[in-house]
Amino acid sequence: MVEYRIDRRSGVATYVQIVQQTKQALRLGMLEPGDKLPTAREVVEATAINPNTVLKAYRELEREGLVEARRGLGTFVKRSLGTAPADSPLRAELDDWAARAREAGLDQDDVAALFTAVLEKFSKGDKE
Amino acid sequence: MSDTAMEAAGLGKRFGRRGGWALHECSFRLPTGRVCAVVGPNGAGKSTLLAHAAGLLAPTEGSLTVLGSHPAAARERIAYVAQNKPLYPQLTVAQTLRLGHELNPARWDASVAERITYENGGLDPKAKVRTLSGGQRTRVALALALGKRPELLLLDEPMADLDPLARHELMGTLMAEAAQYGTTVVMSSHVVAELEGSCDYLLLIGGGQVRLAGDLDDLLAAHTLTTGPVRDLTPHTVVESRTTGRQLTALIRPQGPFSGGPDARATTPSLEELVLAHLRSPEAPALILASARTAAQESAA
Amino acid sequence: MTTLTAPGTTATPTRRPSATRGLVRTVLLLHRPALYLWAGLFVALAALLLWLYGPGTDAAAAAWREYDRCTKATCAYDQDAILRYKSYSQYASIALAFLPFLVAAWAGASLIGREMETGTAQLAWTQSVSPARWLAVKLAVPAALVTVGTSVLVVLHRGMWVRGQGRIDNAKGWTDTFVFHANGPTTVALALSGLAVGALAGIRLRGSLSALVMSAVWTVGVRAALSLALPYLWPTVRTVTSLTHDGPTSLGITVHDGLLTSTGARLADPQCGSSHSSECSTLYHRLDAVSFYTDSHPQSHYWPLQLMATGLVLVLTALVLLVTFRLLKRDTGSAPLTKGAAL
Repeated sequence: MVEYRIDRRSGVATYVQIVQQTKQALRLGMLEPGDKLPTAREVVEATAINPNTVLKAYRELEREGLVEARRGLGTFVKRSLGTAPADSPLRAELDDWAARAREAGLDQDDVAALFTAVLEKFSKGDKE
Repeated sequence: MSDTAMEAAGLGKRFGRRGGWALHECSFRLPTGRVCAVVGPNGAGKSTLLAHAAGLLAPTEGSLTVLGSHPAAARERIAYVAQNKPLYPQLTVAQTLRLGHELNPARWDASVAERITYENGGLDPKAKVRTLSGGQRTRVALALALGKRPELLLLDEPMADLDPLARHELMGTLMAEAAQYGTTVVMSSHVVAELEGSCDYLLLIGGGQVRLAGDLDDLLAAHTLTTGPVRDLTPHTVVESRTTGRQLTALIRPQGPFSGGPDARATTPSLEELVLAHLRSPEAPALILASARTAAQESAA
Repeated sequence: MTTLTAPGTTATPTRRPSATRGLVRTVLLLHRPALYLWAGLFVALAALLLWLYGPGTDAAAAAWREYDRCTKATCAYDQDAILRYKSYSQYASIALAFLPFLVAAWAGASLIGREMETGTAQLAWTQSVSPARWLAVKLAVPAALVTVGTSVLVVLHRGMWVRGQGRIDNAKGWTDTFVFHANGPTTVALALSGLAVGALAGIRLRGSLSALVMSAVWTVGVRAALSLALPYLWPTVRTVTSLTHDGPTSLGITVHDGLLTSTGARLADPQCGSSHSSECSTLYHRLDAVSFYTDSHPQSHYWPLQLMATGLVLVLTALVLLVTFRLLKRDTGSAPLTKGAAL
């Protein structure tokens, strides 16, 4: 079961936060296919957010094919998201890259900025 | 069942023959299943509007229907918590809940009321109401309202005298009940921050009139907050603009695509920015989105 | 509309339990202290009246018998019994006469006024109970208790008074204002009017203290106006007596008295006295007066006067109730089609 943490000052729409946190849980293996998402009642009781916001987030997840609503039973995880386990080759490559970046004199903020910029470029490429 | 929780048509209320208008020419529609924030400064007419919806006041002019009928005819299906949370101080908590049962025999759900007061609130059934703190009183008042299983719940400044923890907790309880039973909730507040995230519909009242009405996300999306060099903003509707040196900050309603120019920033306003800009500019035109229009307004538009 | 579950409880139940019975129980629960006070007051007054009816009257009557039989300069008789009866019977009559003011003050302050002041009235009106039904039950429950209570006390008072007639020489007569009301249904009617006025004051003024003052003042006013109007509520009997009497002779409650001239015209009594005195005889002669006259009510008019007065107060009470309900409906805006929401 996931527990959502809503940050009202983040500037990110509340329903997007729920979508992102659900995906994060799927990626990290905290949610697996067949698992039940908390009901709208449970989510709003803990977070005091609007029920329609939760339903909107769940509809978004459903549209992406990640979950399915079963009438009268709740919302269940349908498929998992590609996970990147700690021992994957990609992770090893990233480790190498980070070491080289430090040798080149980049500090943590520089690395993060660079990483985010590249990521944004790729995600923009996805949309176009 | 009607899909309209509340509909005002030219609603006006004047207290006394020579008094000013507390509400004047209010027309709007609120669909069911929404959590609606009624926002406005003190004295704007929020309480007057809610008291009309609760069947406690008769309009001076125009009409207000709730759940498809006259408020007095829908009395059983409406719950209302007044700003000062009136309760009988001499009764115990248990007696207060029994009173809810006695006066709502056809609808009372003891399990809902007991969950809020005893399970979640940890209140002693034998405690006299006069010994309760402000937060505990609010809890009992909410239990009395929700135990009735209303289709429409009217709350006048419900969280005003609560600490942040109790506020968050009670708002959660409220949202949970709304989620489970599909209750339409209308709550007023002059503290916008306490409503952000909980409400999905907005009714902004100022000077006794409706200034903004509609789905909250749609209302926010209909506005743009822009900062940039001083320039002409036509043809867009300017709600508020401030000039500091060569810089212009404005909240506008874009008419058609808006591009602020190369040096301008354009963002969607927050609820607080939207509300404050409208309160600071009483002459800005009202905006009532399609979902919040009455049939008459729709045909006029 | 977007919610996980369909909105519940929209179907109209086949049998609709009425909230009226619950409202009756609620009224009794909310005003339990007043109920106890009323019960205590009733028991105390009833006990006093019963004591007066039995041992009190017997002891005083025995003492009077002793006293009347006495022919010597000093006799032993139970003077305390006589004084005790005199004081306690007066207390009882006055207490009964004051009950309506007490009811009015309570109705204005506690029954309605405080609920309007603190907003608990609005709390009740937003349950499944209309304001009109709320007010109707709020008034009906105490009205029933007040009617039963004061009626029993009036009957007891009357019994006590009748039993003392002719046996206790200093017992108050039927014309005494406290005895007059305490012996008949005007007390009940005045108490009910106090209740109605209390409700009107509470609804109108929305404050417990102001409603208390207004309803008490109004009830005092009604009582005073009733005292003024009472003699005119039934035709009087004229008694004509000779000028040799000391003055006009009343049969009970005097309405007018004075002198009659030879032409039948009425003159004010110059308070001179019997025409045996030559001074007065001359005066009467000069005035052309031939006799004294008195327009008064004999004791046989007691019930006609009581019933007329009671009817008058009840009509006034009904008018006050009408205004109260109208006011409540105007303020709260009732549904176009109200069912069973009136009295």
